Amino acid sequence: MLRSRHPRSIRLATTWLPALVRRRTGNIVATVCGVALAVALLASLGSFLSASKATMTRRAIDTVAVDWQVQAQPGADVAAVTAQVAAARHTAASEPVQFGATTGFRSSTGGSTRTTGPGEVVGISDTYRATFPAQLRNLIGSSTGVLLFQQTAANLAVAPGDSIVVERSGLPPATVTVDGIVDIPQADSLFQVVGAPSGAQPQAPPDNVLIVPTSVWHGLFDQLDPSHADQIHDQVHVRLDRHLSGDPSAAYTTVTGQARNLEATLAGTGLVGDNIGAALSAARSDALYAQVLFLFLGTPGAVLAGLLTAAVAASARDRRRRDQALLRTRGATVRQLVGLSVAEAVLVGAAGAALGLALAQVVGHLAFGTGRFGATTASAIGWSAAAALVGVAIGVVSIAVPAGRDARALNVVAARRTVGRAGDPRWMRFGLDIVLLAVALIIFWLTSRNGYQLVLAVEGVPGISVSYWAFAGPALLWLGAGLLAYRLTNLLLSRGRTLLALGLRPLTGGMADTIAASMHRQRRLIARGVAIVALTVGFAASTAVFNATYQQQAEVDAVLSNGADVTVTTSPGASLSPTSDTAARIAATPGVQHVEPLQHRFAYVGADLQDLYGVRTSTVVAAGRLQNAYFQGGTATQLIATLAARPDSLLVSAETVHDFQLLPGDAVTLRLQDSGTKRYVDVPFHYVGVAKEFPTAPHDSFLLANADYITQMTGSDAVGAFLVDTGSDTSAVAAALRTQLGTTATVADIGTTRAIVGSSLTAVDLDGLTKVELGFALALAAAATGLTLWLGLVERRRTLGIAAALGANRRQLAGFVWAEAGAVTVLGLVLGGIGAWALANMLAKVLIGVFDPPPDALAVPWPYLATVLAVAVAASALAAASATRSARATGAESLRTP
Amino acid sequence: MTGRPLVDVANVSRTFGRGPSAVVAVHGVTCVLDRGDLIALTGPSGSGKSTLLHLIAGLDLPTTGTVTWPGIGTRAELRPGPVAVVFQAPSLLPPLDVIENVALPLVLQGLGRRFAREAADDALIRLGLGELRHKLPEELSGGQAQRVAAARVLAGRPQLILADEPTGQLDHVNGTLVIDALLDAARHLGAAMIVNTHDRTIADRFPVQWSMTSGRLVHCAVASC
Repeated sequence: MLRSRHPRSIRLATTWLPALVRRRTGNIVATVCGVALAVALLASLGSFLSASKATMTRRAIDTVAVDWQVQAQPGADVAAVTAQVAAARHTAASEPVQFGATTGFRSSTGGSTRTTGPGEVVGISDTYRATFPAQLRNLIGSSTGVLLFQQTAANLAVAPGDSIVVERSGLPPATVTVDGIVDIPQADSLFQVVGAPSGAQPQAPPDNVLIVPTSVWHGLFDQLDPSHADQIHDQVHVRLDRHLSGDPSAAYTTVTGQARNLEATLAGTGLVGDNIGAALSAARSDALYAQVLFLFLGTPGAVLAGLLTAAVAASARDRRRRDQALLRTRGATVRQLVGLSVAEAVLVGAAGAALGLALAQVVGHLAFGTGRFGATTASAIGWSAAAALVGVAIGVVSIAVPAGRDARALNVVAARRTVGRAGDPRWMRFGLDIVLLAVALIIFWLTSRNGYQLVLAVEGVPGISVSYWAFAGPALLWLGAGLLAYRLTNLLLSRGRTLLALGLRPLTGGMADTIAASMHRQRRLIARGVAIVALTVGFAASTAVFNATYQQQAEVDAVLSNGADVTVTTSPGASLSPTSDTAARIAATPGVQHVEPLQHRFAYVGADLQDLYGVRTSTVVAAGRLQNAYFQGGTATQLIATLAARPDSLLVSAETVHDFQLLPGDAVTLRLQDSGTKRYVDVPFHYVGVAKEFPTAPHDSFLLANADYITQMTGSDAVGAFLVDTGSDTSAVAAALRTQLGTTATVADIGTTRAIVGSSLTAVDLDGLTKVELGFALALAAAATGLTLWLGLVERRRTLGIAAALGANRRQLAGFVWAEAGAVTVLGLVLGGIGAWALANMLAKVLIGVFDPPPDALAVPWPYLATVLAVAVAASALAAASATRSARATGAESLRTP
Repeated sequence: MTGRPLVDVANVSRTFGRGPSAVVAVHGVTCVLDRGDLIALTGPSGSGKSTLLHLIAGLDLPTTGTVTWPGIGTRAELRPGPVAVVFQAPSLLPPLDVIENVALPLVLQGLGRRFAREAADDALIRLGLGELRHKLPEELSGGQAQRVAAARVLAGRPQLILADEPTGQLDHVNGTLVIDALLDAARHLGAAMIVNTHDRTIADRFPVQWSMTSGRLVHCAVASC
């Protein structure tokens, strides 16, 4: 009778698998958990990418005051352009805006006349501010009517109610009355040259700006002679419907496509200044950096979970070999044996994948507020499928591949062997660990040569790229360090057996030699355990250090932008002394721990008007939380001490040093406004060093000097801002100060600033990612030590049972177990710790691009590292105690089963 | 010699499980073992031979009745030292080589490493296993492994040897070699020995034969050898 072989194989599998699950529940469940851990980590990181990309897109869009500035080209019918833009498919709202150039403004207050350089007069409609609320920010006075830019108001020393004169080319001066003072947060984009490449854009927006109602603007410029037509131009400002993808790249593609479509419709009569596209373009780089972080921080975790699963599965390899031997004696073919192991692998992989995806859903909701595994539906499906496939692949590689190899290669007798005298693994003979470490260092060196530029966004090129090559450095260092830990443990246990026995003697007495002999013969198992613990510790510790450093620098960035926990900025024209009532009221506000007065003036360096900050040298380093990275040519303390030692010292931004070709010690004469005469006077300084960043200062160019010296030379100690240190409850203190100070000052708190800090990667909230990664790292640390150790010992319970049956007492049995557990844990933690230190340093260097500003030193999260240590030690201790108890309890019983 | 028996088993029963599924493995067994007794314990599978052996070895506790060791001491003092056990399945520690395995009971007793190794070496040579001293258990055949287990018994110089079907997994030739080794060890030490076996030929080599059926020690016979 002809019978198919397949039904028999299927019958065998359907009989075998349920029995396997019933009899080896512990090992099967542990392997499923290992797969689930890897799948959950990958899928959770998918959630992180999805959530962070959506956040980046939202923040990028939120920072844009006007989505498009469509500029009517010379000769075009402005009304037609306005109508076409308003009718465009994606236009949600639009407003015409007029620009007119002025040769300067003039004011006459307090008996003196002030004149500014050239500027702009902008005409807006009555509804403009409602349509584009983020374009202008009211400081004092009315929010409608004639509005003066704050810097212009400071230059002219005018306040609401004062009159100013507008100078026009070819027309007589005109006088207007100022109704309010405003800030223009996005002056750069408002005054961009539409259509010009980014390199041809003006370096800075105009300092002198007047915003007037459309009717006033027409009154000022309608009479302009046609020969001066180049002095005026028209724009249409557009708000889009903003129905965009959560992925910055997809959103960027959409809006740039829409912009091109509008330009095509306008047929040359208008050019689109695509502000929203520019913001999304920057976010695209940040999204790629988030992807980089995923690769750096997430992949090793998934690899580790895979290795752990393999280790868990390997702990049952002897059992599997014995099972195979039994099946073979009963007539099972190699094909059937391989089929059974594949069935076990698929069962474990599929169950692990399902569990992992469910776990990731929960983690995603808790940590990132989303259960989606991708920014788009396609990527969500892709992530889920990829994570599940990885789970099944781990199952197959961990279980089916070794089992298949055994089934083909071993005979029945060999299959029952458990220890063997096999030589070193092939990779050790080839020195793979050394090769990996050497290649890691070479790649690191090569990466350092291009300044660790991982994300390359070339101006004017639509595509951006990531230097994935740089990932190889830390990845190979991590793997190489793990393999080196294996080699060193193997070396210690093979060559250092006598030394090991000596070390064990105080703990295990006369059993030391026997235990050392046992460990010597099981060195491959122990070395594998040490390598896994070392890799886990390396991953957990380096990830924690990187994340802590990232958080530290994000905080530094926020402090840098905001100035302090709370910053109180005085209104233009106000002249508050550090000893004024206002200063005293700020200091007396509940929750305020320290108030640091900071002078803010405008000073001419040659023809450039720059921000000058006067600092109190005795307190500013601590109060301003000044980092060494803010300065060049010395530490923060050293350079501020220079200002104290020689009061006319001046710290200058790198750009100014470059522009004016300054050398240390050079005399620099600044022109500062005298408080008495209101005239600009020459004040001598000496250039002593470079300040790259300073709290509240602009990034490009500013000056730093001794406040006492500025007071002495200008006759005024007026404070520009108070930096307020609040300790903990920042928002409450900020609210109290707002209530107390009213409209006399602007109060900004760090919490709000932290949320606003926009385009850099620090905008990505790593809190969720950190929680997920550190949580997984803890779980991996527990699994790497406790679970693998326990499973290994359980698989060897027969050995321990024999010892118990021969009369080994509790202490002697414990000696066998604890010596092995101790070796795996201690060697793993020590070697892993060393690896983690090297890896964290390399990660911080390679990922320098994500830090803004770069860190002075790595932040070490000691409490978390102590928790990892405690979890690893506790898991080992628990495993060892459990194995000892199990050996004593089942000693004789275990000998009845082969 | 004190004249006291080595082991006194008084009306011992051992039940596994509870309720309707409970299995009475040993039922009301009473017997005494003296120094130099060489006993073959026979009976069908599941008759309670191994359980009785484990009770005598102090590896298990009776449900009712008492097992005492008047000529040895308390249960805690049985192993390592006075009582040695040989199991049906290989009972060598896989990570230790032959000489380390044989020396293990002495090491567990707290004797010096050098003394333990010399005693182990003597035992191996006495049983003709000297050339195996540096082999690992997995490098031995089943018969060799059980003879090494016999050498381990010899090295430990016990007063009572309990062998639970030591030839169960061996062919006749190897089984004979193992029993030769165990008898040689017992006689050399003057120890009492009980060997569980299904093999009539092996049982016939012992001067005393006990038989078990359904948990009861139903027959004690003195062999003619």
